[in-house]
Amino acid sequence: MSDPHAEPHTVDSLREWLTNCVASHLERSADTIDTSVRLSDYGLDSLYVLSVAGELEDHLDISLDPTLLWDNPTIDALSEALAKELAQYA
Amino acid sequence: MTTASPATRAQDPSAAPLERLTRLLGELTGPGQPFSPEALAELDRTEAFPTEACRALDTFGLRRFYVPVEHGGALESFDVVMRLLRAVSRIDLTVALSHGKTYLGAAATWIAGEPEAARRLGRRIAEGTPVSCALTERHHGSDLMAGEVTARPAPDGGWLLSGEKWLINLATRGGLVTVLARTDEEGGPRGFSLFLVDKSRLAPEHFTHLPKVPTYGIRGADISGIAFHDAPLPEDALIGRVGEGIEIIVKALHFSRTGCVAMSLGAGDHALALAAEFVAQDADGVRLAQDPYVRRELGEAAAGLLLSDAAGLVAARSPHALAGEMSVVSAVAKAYVPTEVDDLIARLLHLLGPYGLLRPDDPHTGFAKVERDHRIIGIFDGSSLVNRSALIEQFPRIARGYAKGRWDAEGLAEATNPHAPLRPMRPRELGLVSSGGCSIVAGLPAAVGELRDLAVRGHASTALTTLAGQLLDVSDRLHQDMAAIRFPPRAVPGHAFRLAERFESCFAAASALHLWLRAAARARGPIPEAALLACLVKALTDLEEPVDDADRTAFDDLAEAVLSRPSAPFHSLLDHVEPTGSQQGAAS
Ligand SMILES: Cc1cc2nc3c(=O)[nH]c(=O)nc-3n(C[C@H](O)[C@H](O)[C@H](O)COP(=O)(O)OP(=O)(O)OC[C@H]3O[C@@H](n4cnc5c(N)ncnc54)[C@H](O)[C@@H]3O)c2cc1C
Repeated sequence: MSDPHAEPHTVDSLREWLTNCVASHLERSADTIDTSVRLSDYGLDSLYVLSVAGELEDHLDISLDPTLLWDNPTIDALSEALAKELAQYA
Repeated sequence: MTTASPATRAQDPSAAPLERLTRLLGELTGPGQPFSPEALAELDRTEAFPTEACRALDTFGLRRFYVPVEHGGALESFDVVMRLLRAVSRIDLTVALSHGKTYLGAAATWIAGEPEAARRLGRRIAEGTPVSCALTERHHGSDLMAGEVTARPAPDGGWLLSGEKWLINLATRGGLVTVLARTDEEGGPRGFSLFLVDKSRLAPEHFTHLPKVPTYGIRGADISGIAFHDAPLPEDALIGRVGEGIEIIVKALHFSRTGCVAMSLGAGDHALALAAEFVAQDADGVRLAQDPYVRRELGEAAAGLLLSDAAGLVAARSPHALAGEMSVVSAVAKAYVPTEVDDLIARLLHLLGPYGLLRPDDPHTGFAKVERDHRIIGIFDGSSLVNRSALIEQFPRIARGYAKGRWDAEGLAEATNPHAPLRPMRPRELGLVSSGGCSIVAGLPAAVGELRDLAVRGHASTALTTLAGQLLDVSDRLHQDMAAIRFPPRAVPGHAFRLAERFESCFAAASALHLWLRAAARARGPIPEAALLACLVKALTDLEEPVDDADRTAFDDLAEAVLSRPSAPFHSLLDHVEPTGSQQGAAS
């Protein structure tokens, strides 16, 4: 369950968090990540993104079907999808 | 995948079919019968398919156990089909792989769960059609998303399938083939789909069988390939939805990998029985079994098999009890058990000396054949390395669950108590990664606590609690190391594989401890602990932890038990603690 006192997640805050998360996996700085580019183009292959899904679950404190990351292959698409997902928990 | 209510099941639901099959196999190994040593040796020598043996299994009705009850078959509990396949593998792995492949080939359809398609497939299997599963291509194996076989939508509906699948069990003899094909040129995790190809509906110009590939072991098996030439497939050949191929097959692999474990255990049983018979006999007035070194080695091999059996039993119950964790459980079991069995075969080979290398038609032993046949298990259906890699991807989740002391207590109790009714399998609960880490190992600290409580009441020895405490220390340190593993894409560090191996040993030892504790709880009094001691000593030895020489005598005790009945079927940990015959373990 989400902590009711925590800041609500928005598409923007999710995008920012995802960008930092991806940057840290790739060991590069966040400002070099284009959020409209497919994660696989950055070398985050489909199995690897499953581990990113785990971090997302921890961050958002919800359980996610990791295939959400397969169906939404860019940070932009994923932020939108996550915001929708979270709306269901609200 | 099953719907029958647990209440309708007998105490041990597998007992009846397993007993029947075991009895039948006993008859079929007689002179002139399809499973006689001579017949099997001849098939191996001539690299011929075991047609007669497979037919005998058809007559028995083994195929019915490949089809879930809700789709018209007899598969109610995964654990049962695993025991049946183990019983066949104990006699001949080539036969088990050739016949059991149908289950592996069908699994994707059961998981997709479309009732009409599943019922149709169930009928075909019952009629005797073998089912194959073609993922691998000449240039692409472990990397499923590299496949080049392609299905394009046909102008007038349906699909056109093109390309070659190669190094496929039953590619030629299978009447139906589950094929993974690219349906999006770009590929990617949503770029592939699965098709159930019915060869009887294809014109001859649309497919070609590729020649049988001669192999090191399982020489009689149909390892070949199939090439499709714009083969027209009807709309209903699609398994699941377009783009779901990778997702479905990864989940199907959770089952087929666990199935490989059962076959590996059967080969281990066979090897141990052959070696025990050999050292127990008089050779020129000398009985090898009297040699302390030989006994120690035999005991260590038996302990390896007991541990593998414990891991295998828990894995076989997990599709029901811990479905959401199957991505971890199947990877651990498929990496661990075949490796452990390869090791014990190598250990026993030393004891047999030259006799271990004679041809299978030698009256002494078919040991060399078991060694050759078994080698393949660690390679196909995801090699040990591929499975360790899948496990490493989930280290963060596993380590987090362990650190937070989080596990599925109910699922764990169900998975580790063979007398507990299994809940029906629900394919929807399967996941690409484990939702809850790994309950078997996360439940270790509590299990060790429970053991210490038993010790206080005088129901467990100090030797046992000391070894279990040592295991717990290893596990605690291991999970810290696992949590520290971070790596960029496609750069799994080498030492992570070593951690994966250590995790597997912890999983097997924890499985043994859980099984023993549940048995102790049922007995409500002290139960024999020698077999568990041997398991813990073996696991700690594999983990390269210091073990007292005095503790190693546990191997000698186990050797004694094996030698006292060299030709008897393998006794699992549970047979050692519940000698009343009320429980036969994953083994018998
Ligand atoms: C007897 C037999 C029967 C078979 N039956 C079937 C069948 O019925 N259906 C089917 O589809 N296929 C079948 N196969 C194919 C088998 O599954 C493949 O050979 C296997 O997947 C490996 O693929 P590959 O040979 O292309 O090797 P590669 O995938 O190229 O692997 C080469 C080596 O790299 C290792 N490796 C690969 N990926 C990783 C990773 N991520 N991390 C670490 N190491 C890695 C592998 O362990 C292996 O040692 C069969 C093979 C044999 C020998």
